[in-house]
Amino acid sequence: MSAAVTVAERIGSLVPEMIVFGGSVVVSVTGLSPKRSVRAATPFLSVLTLIAALVALTKGWGGSTTAGLLLPGVGPFARGLILLMGVGGAALAAGLVDRRYEEAVARGVAPFDPIRVVRGEFFAFMLLSICGALLIPGSPDLIWLFLALELTSLPTYIMVAMSRGTRRAQEAAVKYFFLGALSTAILVYGFALIYGSTGSLQLTEIRAALAQQSAMGGIDAVGTIGLLLVAIALCFKLAAAPMHFYAPDVYEGAAAPVTGFLSFLPKMAGFSALLLVVDAAGWGGMSNAGNGLPPALQATLWMVTVLTMTLGNVGALLQRSAKRMLAYSSIAHSGYMLMAIVAGPELGLPALLLYLLAYGVNNNAIFGALSGIERNGQEVEKVEDLAGLARRHPGAATWLAVGSASLMGMPPFLGFWAKLVLFIAVVKSGHTPLVVIAAVNSVVSVLYYLRLAGVPILAPSGAAAEGVVKTPSAGPRLAAVVFGVGVLVLPLFMNRLVSQIEKAAGVPQKMGAAAQPDALQAASR
Amino acid sequence: MTPLLAQAGLTQGVTVALVLSAALFTIGLIGFLVRRNMILMFLCTELMLQAASIAFIAFGRMREDTGGQTFVIFILTVAAAEAALALGLVVLLYRRRETLSAEAWQELHE
Amino acid sequence: MTFAASMLAHSLTLAPGGGGDAAHASLADAPIVAATADPSLAWMGWVLALPAISAVLCALCAAFRVKNKLPAICTVLALGSAFALVLKLYLARGPGAAPVTVHLWDWMNFGWGGGPWKSFQADVSLYIDSLTLLWMLFVTGLGTLIALYASEYMEAERGPGYARFFFGVSVFLLAMSALVMADNLVLLYFGWEGVGLASYLLIGFYYRKPSAVAAAKKAFIMNRVGDLGLAVGIWLIWVNYGTVEFGALFQAFDDAARGVGGWDRSLIPFCLMLGAFGKSAQLPLFTWLPDAMEGPTPVSALIHAATMVTAGVYLIARMQPLFSLHPDAMATVGWIGALTALLAATIGMAQYDIKRVFAYSTISQLGYMFMGLGVGTAFGAAYHVFTHAFFKALLFLTAGAVMHGFAGQLDLRHLSGLRRVPGFRIVSWTMLIGCLWLSAFPYSAGFFSKDLILVQAMSSPRFQMLGWIGLGTAALTAYYTFRVWFRVCAGPVAYAPGDEDHGHDDPAHDAHGHAAHGDDAHGHDDHGGAFHPHAPRLAINSVLLLICAGAILAGVPGIQALRGEQNWVQEMVSNSSAVRAAGVDHVTEPVAFGMDPHKLVTVFGTGACLGGIAIALWIHLLDRRMADRLRTALLSNGLTRWLPTSMENKWYVDELYHALFRLPAWVTSHLLHFFDRHFIDGLLVNGLGRVPVAMGRLFQPLYNGALQGYAGTMAGGLVLVLAWVAWKWLGATGGAA
Repeated sequence: MSAAVTVAERIGSLVPEMIVFGGSVVVSVTGLSPKRSVRAATPFLSVLTLIAALVALTKGWGGSTTAGLLLPGVGPFARGLILLMGVGGAALAAGLVDRRYEEAVARGVAPFDPIRVVRGEFFAFMLLSICGALLIPGSPDLIWLFLALELTSLPTYIMVAMSRGTRRAQEAAVKYFFLGALSTAILVYGFALIYGSTGSLQLTEIRAALAQQSAMGGIDAVGTIGLLLVAIALCFKLAAAPMHFYAPDVYEGAAAPVTGFLSFLPKMAGFSALLLVVDAAGWGGMSNAGNGLPPALQATLWMVTVLTMTLGNVGALLQRSAKRMLAYSSIAHSGYMLMAIVAGPELGLPALLLYLLAYGVNNNAIFGALSGIERNGQEVEKVEDLAGLARRHPGAATWLAVGSASLMGMPPFLGFWAKLVLFIAVVKSGHTPLVVIAAVNSVVSVLYYLRLAGVPILAPSGAAAEGVVKTPSAGPRLAAVVFGVGVLVLPLFMNRLVSQIEKAAGVPQKMGAAAQPDALQAASR
Repeated sequence: MTPLLAQAGLTQGVTVALVLSAALFTIGLIGFLVRRNMILMFLCTELMLQAASIAFIAFGRMREDTGGQTFVIFILTVAAAEAALALGLVVLLYRRRETLSAEAWQELHE
Repeated sequence: MTFAASMLAHSLTLAPGGGGDAAHASLADAPIVAATADPSLAWMGWVLALPAISAVLCALCAAFRVKNKLPAICTVLALGSAFALVLKLYLARGPGAAPVTVHLWDWMNFGWGGGPWKSFQADVSLYIDSLTLLWMLFVTGLGTLIALYASEYMEAERGPGYARFFFGVSVFLLAMSALVMADNLVLLYFGWEGVGLASYLLIGFYYRKPSAVAAAKKAFIMNRVGDLGLAVGIWLIWVNYGTVEFGALFQAFDDAARGVGGWDRSLIPFCLMLGAFGKSAQLPLFTWLPDAMEGPTPVSALIHAATMVTAGVYLIARMQPLFSLHPDAMATVGWIGALTALLAATIGMAQYDIKRVFAYSTISQLGYMFMGLGVGTAFGAAYHVFTHAFFKALLFLTAGAVMHGFAGQLDLRHLSGLRRVPGFRIVSWTMLIGCLWLSAFPYSAGFFSKDLILVQAMSSPRFQMLGWIGLGTAALTAYYTFRVWFRVCAGPVAYAPGDEDHGHDDPAHDAHGHAAHGDDAHGHDDHGGAFHPHAPRLAINSVLLLICAGAILAGVPGIQALRGEQNWVQEMVSNSSAVRAAGVDHVTEPVAFGMDPHKLVTVFGTGACLGGIAIALWIHLLDRRMADRLRTALLSNGLTRWLPTSMENKWYVDELYHALFRLPAWVTSHLLHFFDRHFIDGLLVNGLGRVPVAMGRLFQPLYNGALQGYAGTMAGGLVLVLAWVAWKWLGATGGAA
């Protein structure tokens, strides 16, 4: 263990995680309460827990010790982002599980039976998963990283199975679980090889050992294969090629709120972990256009990036199910974000963090809109079934359109700015071919995003679109409004956002370098 | 394989353990791909995890470091948690379809 | 600073013979005072924030189906506070203070490599000089009053429609304030698009009426054409001058090496002009404005008469340093303005719908403003914008009161003698004031402001023709204006109700609306039984009187100038970027009929006004059948038949556009379709465009739903990567070499 950090200090830096963990215990109990109002308060308690953790984080109770950590600046930002999007995820899922049963209990048809309700467990698992994701950015060693990754993913398997009582949800769960177990095995084997190559589990020591090997002529075979195995195993979390195959099926099978949760949180966790791994592998070294990764890893990441965004976008073109389309879109966005890793830390890290923020906000807006409507008690699955939505539910149609336009990168929405900053970063790092490929991909993506945005507004409502009603719970609609407004309003604060993120990433201020208005003002005064 | 490992500074004894571990990992992977029974598939992933454990112990011994063994304890813990989850899931699925074959679950596809 | 102030002090005269030449000489190369950053004025951000807050509150009211007047109260309070803030700033700074910029927050700041042109910065900052303040004063002031008026006018819509209306008004004020106060062209462009959006939403307010929807679409599309010009112009400015911030731009324009030269620099003012003509309904792009009268009348008064349509004038006045570098561009602006003024006035003479007459008069008066800009008096143009904002808003609001009271009746053939109808006295007399001001009756505000533009035109041999066009148009203006007043307000009492086209928001509203009408004796009893017009009440009447007072007071600067005192508006303009067009450049020697320009315009302008009024008096009040006889006579004569028919049909401009644009567009679209099917589809879409789809199909079998299939592909991918890496980096070099 790193001598500079005591165990007490390490534990002291986990206050937000402890709050979330405590919250998960509380909601698993309130979900079983015989009083209906207490049970109904479970989602609110989850949201409150996450907000409390967020407050604790902003109060600086998330630890100030940076010794023994890689990329220490990323931690607070990433944890804040995870909590913020977690709030959205909990709001999305507010009316999801136990709805039929609770209605039956309310009508007096069925007696209350604590065995039959799962709402408490569902939110407890959601909070545990968030807790796991929160632990990742501050991992000092591989054991911590491994446990945090498992804590993130294990609860999500159960959430998928619980989300709907249907066969499709269970099929999604079984595919997600088994392929997830496979990727875990690959990840652990990769960790073992890295350990063998460097002789340490501490990330800082691993970085030093690998840097020494690089300086001596290159990282040895064991270390290289270990890094590759880890990177590829983490691609499962990102839903990146070649580990992305589960994503369309799982996203389609799970209920929309859980899909929304799955398309952000594991991705965020995966990127947090990948950042630590590439940083340990010499990302910050300056041997290769701002990027000191071993050439094998760099080339693999390049291939993965291109494959991921291309497969995601061409796959989405063929889809009729909105959620399946969004699954492929999620794959494509992972591809865009991986470009930032290829671009190197100075330029890529702030771009990646901004893109994650933008993607999360967009995602919650779109899934809020999709989760807020239903037909005959079922989710509206097909894009065609959304036709004419604007006439009956203008709000849902608006946020769907705003979210899609932003995801496709249309100015002036948030997604455009994130894409712009990312593309500029990649061009500046000298990877122009990547940006060209990404730009072609963005053009292709317009085709399907326009369908998602346009059909609800422009298409005349057909027979299939009749009978679309709002879901009883206001949670998803609230999330759609809050995050949709975020999509519209955040671009107004773009420069401030970028310089804050650059500060968090601990890189010299590049994007905002042209003029720091605060400094200018101070000078003019 | 051997020159690669030797070049990484590995001793003979460790090499044997690593070959065992790689073989176990490969067997687990192939087993996962060819078996249709979900319980067997899960056991194959356990096999892969244990392959990693063997590698950890071998490397730990080579480096004279306790970290590898520590990691193995956590791998065992996580494997247990995964096993519990897997069994719960398998029971749920069996109730629905009365079969353990993974091929029974192909409703979601392009 | 002191130099500029002292220089202005002796140039501020309007009256003839007041040393105008000297003023002109010194103003022509007057430096534009550089703006200084003033963080202490950050509270001006509230001028933007207040309408935004009110928009949010109105949206909440719509969401929660608030049935009372809460949205109106929010909007009036927010806009009133915004006006108070602007007024506070004006009183604190006075008309002559130097420009300041207020940085609110960072917005865009991108750099790729160092140096100019390698970065792009546009912040949410305000550029506040006296031109900004002049515009903000009447935008927020009239906005408040018109929102107050609308609180009564729109009350039949109470419910979501009411909230939607005030949401639109708040968004408009937010966007308009951003447009006027922006310190860079990008923020200005956002405001520009924002007012276009608000205008679109409000024209289409009665969205169940097909004509309103069509009008909204027309306005939107025609404005897009103009906006494209503006966008290209901004892009060219950035390419050529490397910045979009006003302060830096004005310095760059002055820099002889960078100011002019090159075809793309000469193109910039024409691009900006296109944007201005679209927004301000000038000659190629004017037909959307009369159709925009489908919107509720307060909207017509606020957006389509007083404020938004003057954004084009603002743009050119703000960019005066650029335009003054391009004499051809200035001349184009002047000629387009003059021709628009004349054309719109002739159409206005033959319209029967009161709001349409006023709409054409708006286009015509905007033409005067552009003429003023073109002939080089931004001061005259700005003064005319200012006076026009008051009297035209007043006219529209009186028309709205008539429409409100007579169940949507606006046809001047079915209304007569309103001045004697109980409760319409205030409406009639304020309308008379508005009409007098619009016809530039001597010593009215409209007279002074129009006078300035025409004198400037007459003074220059190049533009003398424009002056005569302007004088002729003034006679037409007086005629059609008083045609309305004599028909509607004078004469014997006679009226017929309209078809109550207030429009309804939702079916549920009907029941509610009529119940409410029963309660406050406010019904449009045109569903059987005798029709009783209902007179406007407190909100409408008080607003009419207030705006009327404003219109009268708007003449004060003119009178000041006549008495040789400092002219308030000129002082405002002289302290802005339009300083070089702030003088009145009139020659004192005779230019025509032995009279100097000022005397010429005074004499002929007065004559035109009185003559037009007299003709209107004769054929529309004393002998009303005379007008019909005249029309019949003209129609029966084969030689003159074209005149009334073309005027009534708006010179067939819409039809012309149809022929000019839609027909070729139709032909081209069919040609393109052919091309499309055989070339694009055949070669590109089925070839190139199909590539992504075909790629998708190619990979589709991989997603076959089988768990093991997925695992196999994943493992295969992993093995491939490892094999590749092993071959390329590990094997080939014998491991880590």
